[in-house]
Amino acid sequence: MKKSIKAGLLCAVLLAAPLLPAPLGISFRSFDHEGYTRVVFQSDRAFAYSVDVQEDRLQLRLNGRADFPAPAVAVANSLLLEKVTCEQRDEGSVLTVHFRGAAAVRKSFVLEKPFRVVFDLVRAEKQAPAPPQAPPEAAKSKAAAEEPAPAPRPRPIETICLDPGHGGEDFGAIGRSKLKEKDVTLKIALKLKKLIESRTGLRVIMTRDKDSEVSLNTRASIANNQLGQMFISIHANSSFRKSAYGSETYFVSLQATDPEALELAQKENQNAEDPGEAIQNDELKMILWNMAQTEHIRESSKLAEAIQNELNQLLGTRDRGVKQAPFRVLMRTAMPAVLIEAVFISNPSEERKLQSDDFLDKIAQAIYNGVSKFIYAYNGSLK
Amino acid sequence: MKKGTRAWLAAGAAALVLAAALFLLLRRRPQGFVPELLSRDDGRGGAVAEFIKVKLFFLSETSRYLQPVYREIEMPEAREELYRRFVSLLLVGDGAHIAPVPAGVQLRSLHYLAGRQMLLLDFSESLAGAFPGGTAAELEFIYYMVDNVCYNFREIKKVKFLIGGNESKSLAGHIDLERPFFPDFTWIQEP
Repeated sequence: MKKSIKAGLLCAVLLAAPLLPAPLGISFRSFDHEGYTRVVFQSDRAFAYSVDVQEDRLQLRLNGRADFPAPAVAVANSLLLEKVTCEQRDEGSVLTVHFRGAAAVRKSFVLEKPFRVVFDLVRAEKQAPAPPQAPPEAAKSKAAAEEPAPAPRPRPIETICLDPGHGGEDFGAIGRSKLKEKDVTLKIALKLKKLIESRTGLRVIMTRDKDSEVSLNTRASIANNQLGQMFISIHANSSFRKSAYGSETYFVSLQATDPEALELAQKENQNAEDPGEAIQNDELKMILWNMAQTEHIRESSKLAEAIQNELNQLLGTRDRGVKQAPFRVLMRTAMPAVLIEAVFISNPSEERKLQSDDFLDKIAQAIYNGVSKFIYAYNGSLK
Repeated sequence: MKKGTRAWLAAGAAALVLAAALFLLLRRRPQGFVPELLSRDDGRGGAVAEFIKVKLFFLSETSRYLQPVYREIEMPEAREELYRRFVSLLLVGDGAHIAPVPAGVQLRSLHYLAGRQMLLLDFSESLAGAFPGGTAAELEFIYYMVDNVCYNFREIKKVKFLIGGNESKSLAGHIDLERPFFPDFTWIQEP
């Protein structure tokens, strides 16, 4: 080919290049948290996409051509993810996240500056829930982009997680006659499990079913990973006041959230190069976990009330009411969650009651009644 | 509308306004107070010592509220030393009331982070080791410390607890101790 033709072609290509749509540079990252795995696709500009979720994979379909680091990228050290592949098709690029086993999308949303499509995945036991609706086109306004995608449609309660407090080397509170809280809570939880299973057929998972030590974070992880829909932590109370007595039911308190830490969270969300690093910040971590329970706080409050009413009726002890406090185990559960302080093991009279099998039956029955009433109302509200 | 009906309505409205005002007045929570600064000489015209009068709140068997007791602290030069002396009084307790702190617990160190208006209290490991357990006991300890400190020193807006120099997940398996705590003055009963 003559030099002049070559030069002409080169010029034509150079001139035409700006007119062709440039490939969309997309990066991928993921990080495992307790209870879920976060997957992030990031680009320096907004892009339109559709999502397809199957039990074993998640696909992000783009209209244009994506510039992905490699056709296949292995995901090291992830409990849920195996690899990410990028396939170029006529209609556009397809990014596929391959799962290790079955997974489901718990939440998905879009963030701006930089543009990110975020998925929170959880381990699925049987079938993954229906794929989430992807936005028809990329988010157009900042407000829209920062709003999380609508939560999955609530479904009737099928799985309840029971959490007998303490266990193993963690005795919990100890009564004057050496009764240990960890033994009492396990007995009540096992009785309650039996009641629920025999009378309702609902699935019951336990954070522990023997005298073993389980960390607070692991308890929440068990509930989240097993897709629990209700979390009931069972405890016996203790006070520095020996005369304290009665029963109380708690749900988590978010009121003490530090405004300074909230501001920090927002900054991190906007500026962090790697949200995985940003999440190392403890205060931010605390806020994110708070958010996990925030979605369910109204239901948690209703559940607490239903149980406390039944405890008042069946136990005949003092009603200390429904209260709120920043419980570590409750904050981390992504479902309606309560913590029951049945009676005071530190009160000699109530400790004696806790030694009676009949009284433990009453506690289990009261919790069961409260749970049943809550489920009846909750499931009814879905119709 | 009849004259009598109007008068009844007016009286009802006035009663409602009065009830609302009373409600607002009674539910007003303590916002902290300014400790009184006292000066004393040695009685011979010698050195003058300065004291501040603080109001401590202790637990009692007869009430669910923290009960007030006045104490005097000799004013040190450094503000943090004042806080330290104050917290020491809380640890020692009062013979007539309950200090919801396990026996033998000591304050290892204390730092005031002015920029964050936060007091860091670092207690000996025996705080967790000897803690009796129970949600009520944990909350009693936390708000005993936080309410007392924030009530007496307005510049402190929140308190964060450390145990043995480190952050701790919880005292006895219930309340999240990694977060700072704001006061909850519903625990306090004003005289």
